[in-house]
Amino acid sequence: MEGREQKRHQQKQSGPKAQRKKRRKQGEQGTELEKDERKRNPRAFGVHSAVRMTRTFHRTQDIKTKKHHIPLVDRTPLEPPPIVVVVTGPPKVGKSTLIRCLIKNYTRQKLSDICGPVTIVSGKKRRLTFIECNNDINTMIDLAKVADLVLMLIDASFGFEMETFEFLNICQVHGFPRVMGVLTHLDSFKNNKSLNKTKKRLKHRFWTEVYQGAKLFYLSGMVYGEYQTQEVKNLGRFISVMKFRPLMWQTSHPYIVADRMEDLTDPEAIRLDPKCDRTVSLYGYLRGTFLKNKGQIHIPGVGDFSVEDLSFLPDPCPLPELLKKRALNEKERLLYAPMAGVGGLVYDKDAVYIDMPGGHVKQQQEEMRPTTEMVQSLMGTHTTLDAKMAASKVSLFTGTAALASEEVQENSGEQGPVESRVWDPETRRERRKAVFMEEDEEDGSEGSDEELSDEEGEEVEEESEEGQEVEEDEEGDDESIRDKEEVRKEECRAAKEEAPPLSPLVEGGGARRAVTERPAFADSDDELEKSEREEGNGDEEEEMEEGEAEEKHEKGATVPPDSGHCSEEDTDDDSDEEEEEEEEEENEGDSEMDEQVNSEPPGKETAKTKTTCAAKEEEMDGAGEGEPGTDTPGALRWKESLAQKATEAHLKRQRAAPNLRKLVYGTVVVEEEEEEVVDEEDEELGGLFRVSRPEKSKKVRADATDCSRFQPDTSHDWDQEEMLASIRDCFVTGKWEGDKDATTLLKEDDELYGDFEDLETGEVHRAKPRQGDEAEDDDDDDDGGSGDDAENEEEEAPLVKFDDEEAQKNKRLEKKRRLKERFDAEYDDGDATYFDDLKEEMQKQAELNRTEFEGMDDESRVQYEGFRPGMYVRLEIPGLPCEFVTNFDPHYPIILGGLGASEGNIGYLQMRLKKHRWYNRILKTRDPLILSLGWRRFQTIPLYHIEDHNGRHRLLKYTPEHMHCGASIWGPITPQGTGFLAVQSVAGTQAKFRIAATGVVLDLDKSMTVVKKLKLIGYPYKIFKNTCFIQGMFNTVLEVAKFEGASIRTVSGIKGQIKKALRTPPGAFRATFEDRLLMSDIVFLRSWYPVLVPQLYNPVTSLLMPAGQKDMWTGMRTLGQIKHDLGIQNKPNQDSLYKPVLRQKRHFNPLHIPKELQKALPFKSKPKLRAAKGPAPRDLRRPAVVREPHERKVAALLSALSTIYAHKNKKAQAEQHAKHRDFLKQREKQEAEKQKRQREERKKVYRAMGQKEQKKLKSSLKGTSKDD
Amino acid sequence: GHLQTHSLTYEGCNFFRQRLVLATLSGKRVKIRNIRSRDDNPGLRDFEASFIRLLDKVTNGTRIEINQTGTVLFYQPGLLYGGAVEHECCAQRSIGYYLEALIMLAPFMKNSLRAILKGVTNDPVDPSVDLIKATAVPLMKTFGIDGEGLEIKVVRRGMAPGGGGEVHFSCPVRRTIKPVQLTDPGKIKRIRGTAYSVRVSPQMANRIVDSARSILNQFIPDIYIYTDHMKGASSGKSPGFGLTLVAETVNGTFLSAELASTPQGQGDPVLPEELGKSCAKLLLEEVYRGGSVDSTNQSLALLFMTLGQQDVSKTLLGPLSPYTIEFLRHIRDFFQIMFKIEPQKPEDEQKGGEKVLMTCVGVGFANINKTLK
Repeated sequence: MEGREQKRHQQKQSGPKAQRKKRRKQGEQGTELEKDERKRNPRAFGVHSAVRMTRTFHRTQDIKTKKHHIPLVDRTPLEPPPIVVVVTGPPKVGKSTLIRCLIKNYTRQKLSDICGPVTIVSGKKRRLTFIECNNDINTMIDLAKVADLVLMLIDASFGFEMETFEFLNICQVHGFPRVMGVLTHLDSFKNNKSLNKTKKRLKHRFWTEVYQGAKLFYLSGMVYGEYQTQEVKNLGRFISVMKFRPLMWQTSHPYIVADRMEDLTDPEAIRLDPKCDRTVSLYGYLRGTFLKNKGQIHIPGVGDFSVEDLSFLPDPCPLPELLKKRALNEKERLLYAPMAGVGGLVYDKDAVYIDMPGGHVKQQQEEMRPTTEMVQSLMGTHTTLDAKMAASKVSLFTGTAALASEEVQENSGEQGPVESRVWDPETRRERRKAVFMEEDEEDGSEGSDEELSDEEGEEVEEESEEGQEVEEDEEGDDESIRDKEEVRKEECRAAKEEAPPLSPLVEGGGARRAVTERPAFADSDDELEKSEREEGNGDEEEEMEEGEAEEKHEKGATVPPDSGHCSEEDTDDDSDEEEEEEEEEENEGDSEMDEQVNSEPPGKETAKTKTTCAAKEEEMDGAGEGEPGTDTPGALRWKESLAQKATEAHLKRQRAAPNLRKLVYGTVVVEEEEEEVVDEEDEELGGLFRVSRPEKSKKVRADATDCSRFQPDTSHDWDQEEMLASIRDCFVTGKWEGDKDATTLLKEDDELYGDFEDLETGEVHRAKPRQGDEAEDDDDDDDGGSGDDAENEEEEAPLVKFDDEEAQKNKRLEKKRRLKERFDAEYDDGDATYFDDLKEEMQKQAELNRTEFEGMDDESRVQYEGFRPGMYVRLEIPGLPCEFVTNFDPHYPIILGGLGASEGNIGYLQMRLKKHRWYNRILKTRDPLILSLGWRRFQTIPLYHIEDHNGRHRLLKYTPEHMHCGASIWGPITPQGTGFLAVQSVAGTQAKFRIAATGVVLDLDKSMTVVKKLKLIGYPYKIFKNTCFIQGMFNTVLEVAKFEGASIRTVSGIKGQIKKALRTPPGAFRATFEDRLLMSDIVFLRSWYPVLVPQLYNPVTSLLMPAGQKDMWTGMRTLGQIKHDLGIQNKPNQDSLYKPVLRQKRHFNPLHIPKELQKALPFKSKPKLRAAKGPAPRDLRRPAVVREPHERKVAALLSALSTIYAHKNKKAQAEQHAKHRDFLKQREKQEAEKQKRQREERKKVYRAMGQKEQKKLKSSLKGTSKDD
Repeated sequence: GHLQTHSLTYEGCNFFRQRLVLATLSGKRVKIRNIRSRDDNPGLRDFEASFIRLLDKVTNGTRIEINQTGTVLFYQPGLLYGGAVEHECCAQRSIGYYLEALIMLAPFMKNSLRAILKGVTNDPVDPSVDLIKATAVPLMKTFGIDGEGLEIKVVRRGMAPGGGGEVHFSCPVRRTIKPVQLTDPGKIKRIRGTAYSVRVSPQMANRIVDSARSILNQFIPDIYIYTDHMKGASSGKSPGFGLTLVAETVNGTFLSAELASTPQGQGDPVLPEELGKSCAKLLLEEVYRGGSVDSTNQSLALLFMTLGQQDVSKTLLGPLSPYTIEFLRHIRDFFQIMFKIEPQKPEDEQKGGEKVLMTCVGVGFANINKTLK
């Protein structure tokens, strides 16, 4: 290909072809030709059908809008948390190996045991957290909820296993994270053809489950127990460039995948009671959304808890700072996995932990930061309780029992993917192969059978070998563990002997402590901090404060305020200001002074603080009204130093921010200290969430009137001219700001359009020179401005001259920008759709969200926003059950899911539910079921129901087989639209396909309206015509009264109505029917009886189970299980049994009419008692007639004649019939012809009319076009 | 067993409505102790009991426990149900007292609320129905609670102390609340108002209008004050008159002031002229305070900001009223939301007093009561 040069195409330069081409080209340029075409062939471009046109228009519009997604505000944080990569798959498929390889690929480090989440820096902007998902369905459910990316490992040599499908279904319910399939064990295929076939088959099946074209990775053979480097690298690359869509639940809830756990419980308390509730701190990256302090969280597998303390820590695995270079250097390839014993230096709130280098992490330790050494040297002296706990942690982690659970074999059924249990000799476990019917047919059974037979042969040998190996391994591990433990014990001992526990010598730790002690609201002003420290324990001073307050304020009035801006007094003052304002209403005596205050707005605040002291004293006395006389002297003194006040005003304003904040929220640290004090003093003031600071002055107000009205400031006298002037510009009649003022806008317009001449009048308009504008502006300033403005002007004047050109240039740019804006507004907005507007709005909001708190330091930012996702946080949770700590197993993920506003409450939930089509049984009402809903897994008792056409929820005994039905449960309040899945049990893997049902929450309510049918039965005891007295249905008159007017029915279908209760017997009533009843009829009343949903909410506490039994949690058993376990057989109702039907012969008595009645009867009705007739007597019998021969002849002739006549008649009639039929046919034909003719004629006429009409229309159109 | 382990505890009867409303919205339980415990007449008053009853009517599954003396109240909120509700409000407080709380809850019900409130429509203590109608309704519209359903109608007017008024309030249901940026209140372009009088001479209203105009005309010519004289059945049980003024800015901010005559037999009667003038001055005071939300609705605006999506909302307010300050503290207790409070001095001397810019990130509240169909 490359070697041979192809002949170039020669363009024709002359000749007819070139000319034609030229002509065409010219035509295109001029667009003349196009126009011509339209003219030449107008019909091709004309509108043929309006309907069609609208349809095409609709179609294009539909296609356009289909592309739109509802725009959402982009809330992804600037520094996102690590992406959670869950590696899942059935056992022995190569999960740990894959994680190990990926970690090695990213960080060049080896991690032998994947224990808990492993966080690594994978690139300049991305971090990853790997979590291995074991075969427990609890873990699968939990991890599916937090996963961003799922690596689904599939053993290609074996095919799909049930776990894969279960996991996919779990994912589907809880919002589908990204799923990538990874095929392993590809080296076991002998020939290429079967390999390709298998790949294809698995791929297509995978696609139907995930989506068409989902990525499936192939990991061919292993090299030295690891996957091939190139393949792992490729996989790693895929992971690092992957994009994720936000999932509803994850983006609306904060959550943490804990990667570290410390027990903070007092060791003494544990010693006294080893089963006491524990206080635990958990660490991890915050994900999802903002987490607020003191919020409620749910730990799946444990329960609901409230966070006692929440703080952020420096990122243990930070992203590299510089983004300019192409690749990460070795130092930046960090690895953090504290549960696996990696992580080196671990920071806590008030201490730094160091993991002493163990056997497997030596390499990692060596490349730690240089500070390590220093810190290590200091470590011996520093220990806190936390440190002790940290030391003890290691033994906890390493003590992981092997998960050896015997699995019970069970026969498989049919439906869905048929599970075929396969004994895998290599792994020595039973594998739940998912076999699809079609596949079976495709494959045949050649390959697998062969393999099986091969393997069976080797089975025994391998087993024995492996057993030995495992034992050896365990021994090795034990040794290393022992080593580590010893080291730790020594450390602890050393620590105990030395260093007092509460004086950390580590510098960093000390600094951190100081930071936390400082008020959390302080804006990191140094001044502020100082003042706080100066104040020291404010309690003592506070007491003094009241006495000295006045003096202090006087000082404040004369001396410019120093650093103590935000002292507690100030906050007091400010809080009092408000009350003081109210009070001043009453102090009308000193209106003079108030006026003065108003005339000098900048000094106003200080004046107020002055008056406050008096006001406060009054308050302490409990009397609301004070004497105004005390205020006056202070105020007068204040007047003397007016000038100073003016300069102070600026300072005052600056510090006003923290003041106002303090006024509203108080300071957190002070609050806490005081709370304790108050608790001692007065029990009544205790409480968890109380603002004690402002409360103090408010004690009196606690019982005041609850009114939202804001009483006016009486210091404002609206008769005064100055006061009126102060709001002059709030009205449209007042002065406008420069950029909005009408005159300036007009001027701008002038500038825009510049000079122009009115052609009609010959007037010439000129744009005003720029200088003039400025002069005018300045004039305006002068009019309303004060001395300050004048000064400013003087200062600015020379500057203007200097930067004249610059300014001109800027102005020009500005002008250009404005012009463009106006142009855009005019021409673009026409096209802008609702969607575009919405999108733009969202973008603006996102921008605002990002910028609003950008510059702020984290301490105070956290107060406003809450802890933002991406932060590494530490949560302190009290009251955890001791099993959480004692049975801790790092292989099981600990997830802390934040709960929304009322998601901590329990109530009734109404959901739509469908039995999973692969689950082989239908579900029974009132059988306990384990649901996974929101963050939670819990057992509850659902009632199934279906909605009737009239909106009634009718109870169902079982779920429909292939249909949705409603389910009502008692459970945690979860927002509508949240998906859930149900399993019958989480223990073991005995069940076939474990997911029993899926669905979605529809409605939350505190009361339920499920009803079941109730038939009340009664019997008539007296029957009149259509009226009937019925008894046995009710017991009292009152009951009947409730059902008056209700419709009733008999079994035979006669409808009726309850009329009125009878006095006796009680419960009997009169009813009318549409027909007469029989005494044997049974009457029934169809009614609906509300069913109560059982209030069972039983969280699945699988994490509290002992290690190794965490997948053995069982809750409440179903009735069937209990019966099975206890061997109880149901005794059927005797009435329900089928017996042979015995029908007795009915015997009817003869009718008997009494004599009297017989007499009275009319003759017609009288019983005729005559005996049956015997043979007629001889005299009554008629004699036989014997004809004469002549007579006989005549009779024969007559009969022959009549026969002939009849025959003739018949013939004639048939003929007549045929004739008539022919006639009718003829007529029909004629009629049809006539119709046809008429139709054609009509058609002709109409066509002519139409043409006429069209002509008229055309001519009129032509007329208009000419007009145009 | 870990669910609902603790409840919030407060003391005293003040800010009673705030606490119960926030408790209902957040689903947290509340205990209020020492309600008028030192008072001669301890415990809850009738109007508070009536308020509790109203809450019970609009919710489903609410649990309320009150001790023997009425000094301790325990409130466990249910789910907001809504629908058609009729309530006889206690005459001790005006309907405004109840309506303020109801407005806060109404957008988060299961069914859209159609409430008929009967009682005192105007009294000097609480914001009147007219005021709420004129200011709260447009405020709600800025938060995306709009549409056909949102309406407050004064069917009958009833002055304190007799009452006998009737107000219809309906509000549509929303799933989420929009974040807002109300940082520029704009300039006042017109002033509107209602001067009402019942069971007195209809001339009273005209006298009020004249006197109020005399003051306001100095600022702006576009003033129109409606006179509303109600007769017969729709005039309630007590005589009285009053004035509500609303200033509307070019950016759709509504600032208001109002004044009602002193109830019959409670203190000195006021002259209509005097009332008109002082009400006009109150409006000037309100204008001086300024902000994008008027002082009575500060807490409503802050609540909707809190309950917004997880986006930044900003609102410029006038000086915070004590009621609002306490509301902010309560918001922190119930929703763990703190506002960024930045005082802002108007750069222009003639634009009223100091303002406060309130900024917060919403909690991402979604109406969990609304049924999914």
